[in-house]
Amino acid sequence: MNKKIISFIVVILALVGVTVYSAAKGSISVGMMTLVDGVLHRNSEEVNVIIDLRFPRIIVSILTGAILAVSGVLFQSVMRNPLADAGIMGISAGASFFTLFGLLFLPSLFISSTLFAFLGGAVSCCIIYMLSWKSGLKPLRVILTGIAVSAMFTGLREALVNICAYFNVTVGASNASNLTMKTWEDVELIVPLGMLGIILAFLVSPWCNMLKLQDKKVVQLGVNIQLVRILISVIAVFLAAVATSIAGIIVFAGLIIPHISRQLVGTNHHILIPFSALAGAFLILTADTFGRLLIAPLEIPASTIMAVIGGPFLIFLLRKGDKLNGV
Amino acid sequence: MEFKELSFSYDDKAFMEKLEGKIEHNKITTIIGPNGCGKSTLLSLLARGQKHSAGSITLDGKDIYSYKHKDFARKIAMVNQTNHISEDMTVEELIQFGRIPYKKIWKQENADDKDAIEWALECTNLQNYKDIPVSALSGGQRQRVWIALALAQKTEILFLDEPTTYLDIYHQLELLSLIRELNQVHGITIVMVLHDMNQALRYSDMVIVMKSGAIKAYGPPKQVITQEKIKEIYDVHIAVNEDDKTGLYIVPLSI
Repeated sequence: MNKKIISFIVVILALVGVTVYSAAKGSISVGMMTLVDGVLHRNSEEVNVIIDLRFPRIIVSILTGAILAVSGVLFQSVMRNPLADAGIMGISAGASFFTLFGLLFLPSLFISSTLFAFLGGAVSCCIIYMLSWKSGLKPLRVILTGIAVSAMFTGLREALVNICAYFNVTVGASNASNLTMKTWEDVELIVPLGMLGIILAFLVSPWCNMLKLQDKKVVQLGVNIQLVRILISVIAVFLAAVATSIAGIIVFAGLIIPHISRQLVGTNHHILIPFSALAGAFLILTADTFGRLLIAPLEIPASTIMAVIGGPFLIFLLRKGDKLNGV
Repeated sequence: MEFKELSFSYDDKAFMEKLEGKIEHNKITTIIGPNGCGKSTLLSLLARGQKHSAGSITLDGKDIYSYKHKDFARKIAMVNQTNHISEDMTVEELIQFGRIPYKKIWKQENADDKDAIEWALECTNLQNYKDIPVSALSGGQRQRVWIALALAQKTEILFLDEPTTYLDIYHQLELLSLIRELNQVHGITIVMVLHDMNQALRYSDMVIVMKSGAIKAYGPPKQVITQEKIKEIYDVHIAVNEDDKTGLYIVPLSI
């Protein structure tokens, strides 16, 4: 019990700390007092620039991290697979490809990017379920299927970008994440959608707990397990789609955070979901801040940093081998 | 509970054909038979774990598939042969799942739920273990936890699939006397699959003997577990003895 409370306090303090640090440091650097004063009274030109340009980026990073972590928790619960992650399984790649598709063909729809991202994520998720269901969603099989799905959608996306370039249409060229040019419009999109997804995830947390039992047992308790699975999957895909449509593909956040969170606060999803959200927010904001400040004025995208941390982490999980069958 | 003309097939191969039988109210019924005879399958069919291909199973005069999922889970609870649970869940958290048939997922526990959980802990003698992780328990205790989970469902009927298989002799006896107590004190109808014929003799009111997907005998243990029957079913010679202390018991002699 104590360990859980301490973990919460530490992660909240860390998140607040890195948020303030991230706001204060960069191409324009201000002191803490100037920052707080400027935010409250809007009396500093420098702080106003920070509010306009850096705050949206920070908020989007925080939300993206929280969303990806919670999406990972849900995927791992519903697939009973500790390696499930929207990025690894190609759900983000599907979402990314469909987002581009939406941008090209229905650019007028305000909500279209998220909607198309959701469709793409759902398509990827269905492919994963169809191809690895019979083997009981074995962790490695899901990963292999995910690699294939991911490669396919990344390829399709690149093909689409190239075709557009041929016709002199410029579209978002990079498949990598982009937290750089975030505006308050992005914030207005990601905050309500992201919060909605996280709240829905929290509401289904008793079901996630229940999925710790075997399917057989869940059915014996009078629960419609397919409906539960579909609902949790839909929420998880929705979260991944929101993050991808706004921040691009960031792999591994949904893998690392739930894993560490389970070690710290246990597997009760009432606690695990909020904790993972906080920890994910901390991780992505830290990665983005780090990438922004490390070799300024050049930037390393947060997704690149996550790939560098996440790759070894996945290898570490794979080496734990026999633990893979139980989350 | 009754079943009529019950047939079951998987992969298009007929496995059971036209089984007839019943489960008597407030009795302990034990299903025995050689490996692969369909004991567990019959149990699973009666508990809606698998769907029969033809025939009917009725509970309180109604077809079992006419019950809603949750209503059925208030009628019959099942203890599976193998169980798995994540490591850090406590005994009480696990037993709380037994209340799922009674409440919406986000509802708090009400007094009924609390009473049922308390009662389940008490019956299985686990009051002192409720805050301990299930993974820290011994095999015998763990099996009691799964029974407690089923008891929290507050059903009239309890199914157990080979409840003693992975236990040593002490815990086998402990478990069987718990099952008998549940039947005699709390009036729960018990249906279980056992391998040990002596246990079946001692703890059952009725025995169903199966072989190759068919019911070969049904009746009180004394009538069913006889030299001739066991030779026919298992192809094993046994001696059936009786003395004042132990009652009826069997000794396998040769094959």
